[in-house]
Amino acid sequence: MPTSDKIMARRSDKGYFGPYGGRYVPEVLRSAIEEIEEAFFEEIADPSFNAELERIRSEFIGRPTPLLYASNASKLLGGADLYIKMEGLAHTGAHKINNAVGQALLAKRMGKRRIIAETGAGQHGVATAAACAKLGIECVVYMGAIDVDRQQPNVATMELFGAKVVPVYSGSKTLKDAINEAFRDWAESFSNTFYLIGSALGPSPYPDMVRVFQSVIGRETKAQLAERGVTPEVLVACVGGGSNAIGFFEPFLDDETPRLVGVEAGGIGQGKGEHASRMTGNGARTGIVHGYKSRFLLDDDGQVAETHSISAGLDYPGIGPELASLGRSGRIEFRRATDTEALEALTFLAKTEGVVFALESAHAASAALSLARSLQPEKAVVVNMSGRGDKDLFITAPLLRPKEWKDFLERELVAMNVSQGAKK
Amino acid sequence: MSVERIPLMAHLVAGYPDASGCRAAARGLVEGGATYLEVQIPFSDPSADGPTIRDACSSALEKGSSVKESLALVADLHATYPEIPVFVMTYASLVFAPGIVTFVDAAAKAGAAGLIVPDLPFDADEGLAQACVAASEKIPGAICSIPVAAPSMKPIRLAAMIALGRPYIYAALRAGITGAATEINADTKMFLSAVNKGGSKIFGGFGIRSGAQARAVAPYVHAVVAGSVFVETVSAVVLAQSPESKTASARSLQIRNEAIRRAVYKKAKEIIAG
Repeated sequence: MPTSDKIMARRSDKGYFGPYGGRYVPEVLRSAIEEIEEAFFEEIADPSFNAELERIRSEFIGRPTPLLYASNASKLLGGADLYIKMEGLAHTGAHKINNAVGQALLAKRMGKRRIIAETGAGQHGVATAAACAKLGIECVVYMGAIDVDRQQPNVATMELFGAKVVPVYSGSKTLKDAINEAFRDWAESFSNTFYLIGSALGPSPYPDMVRVFQSVIGRETKAQLAERGVTPEVLVACVGGGSNAIGFFEPFLDDETPRLVGVEAGGIGQGKGEHASRMTGNGARTGIVHGYKSRFLLDDDGQVAETHSISAGLDYPGIGPELASLGRSGRIEFRRATDTEALEALTFLAKTEGVVFALESAHAASAALSLARSLQPEKAVVVNMSGRGDKDLFITAPLLRPKEWKDFLERELVAMNVSQGAKK
Repeated sequence: MSVERIPLMAHLVAGYPDASGCRAAARGLVEGGATYLEVQIPFSDPSADGPTIRDACSSALEKGSSVKESLALVADLHATYPEIPVFVMTYASLVFAPGIVTFVDAAAKAGAAGLIVPDLPFDADEGLAQACVAASEKIPGAICSIPVAAPSMKPIRLAAMIALGRPYIYAALRAGITGAATEINADTKMFLSAVNKGGSKIFGGFGIRSGAQARAVAPYVHAVVAGSVFVETVSAVVLAQSPESKTASARSLQIRNEAIRRAVYKKAKEIIAG
């Protein structure tokens, strides 16, 4: 597998994917980014880097992740066979760890003592914190104050791993603002600090780098399908920034088949601020934000717009430049799934397959279910469960069983007050 | 040096604290002796700015400040102080969204003397410099694109920037973001000498907060840039307002604006005196 990392290392043309990508950063950061670029292409050609990465993947992440034949769901849907790539079984609960350990290892070999990261829902933050703990690097995670409030379990986990979580109070207090704050830190600290970006976006070479580290998902899937003699008709992944999608699709990009489907957050409607659909509908435009050119949700002036999704991992206003380009060329088809559709898919697969999708991945599941339904038996649909849903319990439980959950929380609060009172 | 006044490019955020307060600040800066004004058009995600300017931008945006209003301010300042060139600083997203040519034409029409867009690198500027040349041919007065140099640039890249032969280069005096104080040391001076080699006029700034700093930088630059310190001065006046006076009656607004003008005037004088 290390050899294929090397072959597919650079898909961009000097940092561009068709019209998108680039390196739109202030001069102050350019040499720091060039240093990473140089080190990255050197290290992934180095067998010792790949051997160490491979060891971490199997011992720490728990790779390969299984490919599950969703037999019950397939039977009920009455169409194509549905397969689920169980990426959510990776350590820390999502695909994010693949990229976090890859970049953290790179940082370590570059001699960087400190890693900074941004996080939205907290999955990338948790993965980075874990990777830093394992590799012995100081870790600081920037997280929007609103996300800190609504994702306390992930904040607690990051701190448990020894990371410092810095709440960001500026702007909309969410992921995009955490990215801004990480850039601010980095502009000052780049001599000893590595900025570990969590999605396939940002200034070049991040989109290339993140795809390379995530492409392990697609390579495993391809091998697992081949072992079973299955030729997939269509692959489906959810798309926020797009790191799981690009990693899942990577080994198939140069082939004419299978169909590749990316699913965006349809949110609660098609109005402004009600969704995060950059490739479907007409809410997005080409823009330059966070160091790269792509499709963004912007207002007429170019101010970054507010978005909505039930899943915090899909509400980023931009999309990775390579995915935007592949959408434009038609290699990847884009669809959207609403909050409700995602929740329905999540419940259906939990009941039929005993698998809880993360809310992000549940958007992909929703599209996968309807594709499977519409396709002939003998065909196969493969969906990437990029994350598992344990982390969403505080969002799904109040929706699925409001009364019981509220009672539970109230009892917990009382119990906590009692025990704290006892200590005093 | 103390008798000779230091040429100053003074920075303000369009629409902060509001339209009239912003004009009062500009007046204070001009009366205080600023040679140039730099107007920042607020962007939702100003990732190169420190807390002071970042918060001023979001405050202006919350009050509904738009690019159109910001350019109207530029036009107004240009008309009021015809002897003071006004430069526009902003981020790529706002310049790119309407189309580079449209944006540049609008800025030129407003009378802007130049554009500073830190996240449009000089070798990937999406046609910004070219649009400025074209606009200068159509509209009287010249608008130019001002690249930003940083001490962390590789010598070969800095040489390429200098070789562009632009009228101005903005030299960011240190790594990091706007706001925090900058120490002017031997490295800073070496960097400025390197930027100076091409003959472009140099605006040198980032963290200039005092006369002493300005004096240290002045010999190496065409003008010293100070930004956050003035935005902070404005913020301090706004924060000091009593809650009753925030009711924005015409009278209380007038009192506040006069306080802004005076505070900014004093600060500008202080820096310019060196």
